[in-house]
Amino acid sequence: MRELRDLARRLLEEGSVQTVLGWEEGPRGARPVFVRRPEEAERLIFDPRCVHNLAAYLSPRRPHLKGLGRIAICVKPCDAKAVAGLIRETQVARDQVVLIGLRCGGVLPDPEGRETLSGETVADRCRGCPDREPRLADHVVGTAAEGFPGPSRRQQKVEELLALSPDDRWRFWQQELARCVRCHACRQVCPLCFCEQCIADKTRPRWVESSAHGRGNLAWHISRAMHLAGRCVDCGECERVCPGGIPLGLLTRRVAKTVGERFGWRPSDDPAVPSPVGTWRPEDPQEFIL
Amino acid sequence: MMTNASQITQAGLSSLVEDLRQAGIQVIGPARVTDGAVEYQRLADLSGWTPGVQPRRSLKEWFLPVTEPLFRYRKQGPRVLVEELAPPDAPRVVLGAYPCDAAALPILDAVMGWDYRDDPWFARREATVILSQVCPGGDASCFCTDVGIAPDSAAGADLRMCPIESGWRVQVETGKGEAFLQQWSRHFQPANGSKNPLPPAGPPRSEAPRANPERVRAWIETHFEDPFWQEVALRCHGCGGCAAVCPTCHCFDIVDEPENPVQGARRRNWDTCQTALFTRHASGHNPREDQCGRCRQRVNHKFAIYPARFGRILCTGCGRCARTCPSGQDITEILARIDQWAAGPGGA
Repeated sequence: MRELRDLARRLLEEGSVQTVLGWEEGPRGARPVFVRRPEEAERLIFDPRCVHNLAAYLSPRRPHLKGLGRIAICVKPCDAKAVAGLIRETQVARDQVVLIGLRCGGVLPDPEGRETLSGETVADRCRGCPDREPRLADHVVGTAAEGFPGPSRRQQKVEELLALSPDDRWRFWQQELARCVRCHACRQVCPLCFCEQCIADKTRPRWVESSAHGRGNLAWHISRAMHLAGRCVDCGECERVCPGGIPLGLLTRRVAKTVGERFGWRPSDDPAVPSPVGTWRPEDPQEFIL
Repeated sequence: MMTNASQITQAGLSSLVEDLRQAGIQVIGPARVTDGAVEYQRLADLSGWTPGVQPRRSLKEWFLPVTEPLFRYRKQGPRVLVEELAPPDAPRVVLGAYPCDAAALPILDAVMGWDYRDDPWFARREATVILSQVCPGGDASCFCTDVGIAPDSAAGADLRMCPIESGWRVQVETGKGEAFLQQWSRHFQPANGSKNPLPPAGPPRSEAPRANPERVRAWIETHFEDPFWQEVALRCHGCGGCAAVCPTCHCFDIVDEPENPVQGARRRNWDTCQTALFTRHASGHNPREDQCGRCRQRVNHKFAIYPARFGRILCTGCGRCARTCPSGQDITEILARIDQWAAGPGGA
């Protein structure tokens, strides 16, 4: 913590950044904070309750953050993959941000952190995560920690669902998606959902029905999962914030499985790794093209 | 003639639910859903009823559904035929509403009956008997006592229930509640003894109000351009989760959904001031251009605009917005800061 606060203070004092985006202690556990004065660096914390993927705040569709000057952003290894995604897709220039990498041994499922971190309590997405420190970083702070073995329950659930008959799988998703109220919180917190105008907001014509009925909900969630193909970094924020508790990560994991198998892609914190959506190779599988 | 205070055993409550079901009356109450959380659900019996847990979403969706058809239409040559739908007036009973959810309903009646009478809203209101429960306890995000409500509030309840050793003590609050008790009297017994019909409520969870609503309102009304709104919006993602779980957020959108070129339905869907689309004009111009204006709007509407128009704060202090916010935004913290400035030198 000392190391993080001292670094933040130094960056602000020397003026190389005007804002440090990290986590602070809030009324209900850890929460994002925008530190803009050197003396406020003392508010910064980092512990397993810092679950939020702050890369979402770098997305260009947040005009109210444009006045914050140059930003230094705290990233866990998984968050760094989201920043890499934004750089890869030319939404953020590498020299536009300072990345403060944090060594991470896994986080809890929510920022309130009622439990201590263990193999039982760790966030599911951290199970089997091989990354202990971000490679995409200008500074790396914190202490090294051991991770937790996989596979994640989510990965297992994807396989379980694939083993079901299409009818049973359909029933499962009908039941889960019935809790969707179409608030689009899943989109708002997603660092890679950066479209200036989302397909769900298009009204002339309306592509995705805004009604929270079976048709509208299915159209929205399938569109979202497909638009994140080869882009989702599995930070799990969509699932964490869903006010209906819908296991949205199962959809993005399912798509990621295919993109991994067909195009050999895994989320990476190296912006130079080509995006499967933005790249064409002669050897790409294409037998599905009629 | 029933007295005002009655009681019912747990077995009596079970048989009441069974009788209501037999009579075609829908029973709604807190129950677990597939992801383990509690929501207000349709109950077939009492086996899944979980009155001790505050549902994740409020009771509002049972009166203002997430999506509902208003009418159906069909084009026939140059004419459009409109098919009216039956009013949603099937009889229902809510069993175990939280006081902060029941209290939201009369607050919303004001706007729903204001410039026009919202027929579906009032059809559901009139067809529903609400048995609220004295709050079994909340957490640090609760602040009902700050906004004029209390864990044992009767607002919005036709009958109030409080757990006792042998089941529930029940107190009549409205004529509708009295009629309900009379109709189903065979399941109830007169409450024994006490003149005080309900045991006293537990201490409110916030000992001292964190903000004075009058001062807050005065400050908001005079600080539309205050830099505070810029600052408070920084961490907001504009996800609208707060509005989705709120018992009093009631904004909706109206859309025509064609099913094919000649027919479709006009539906009304939940909407929220936290999104850009909410205020975007057909021209593309958006008068509320960023999240700062949207955060301000939410606080302004609840604590200044609605009180000015209807004399009621548009909030029951249920705390759900703070619990659901992915960024840890907390309305009590915002109100407390405003109140601090308002109370200080130069204040409102």
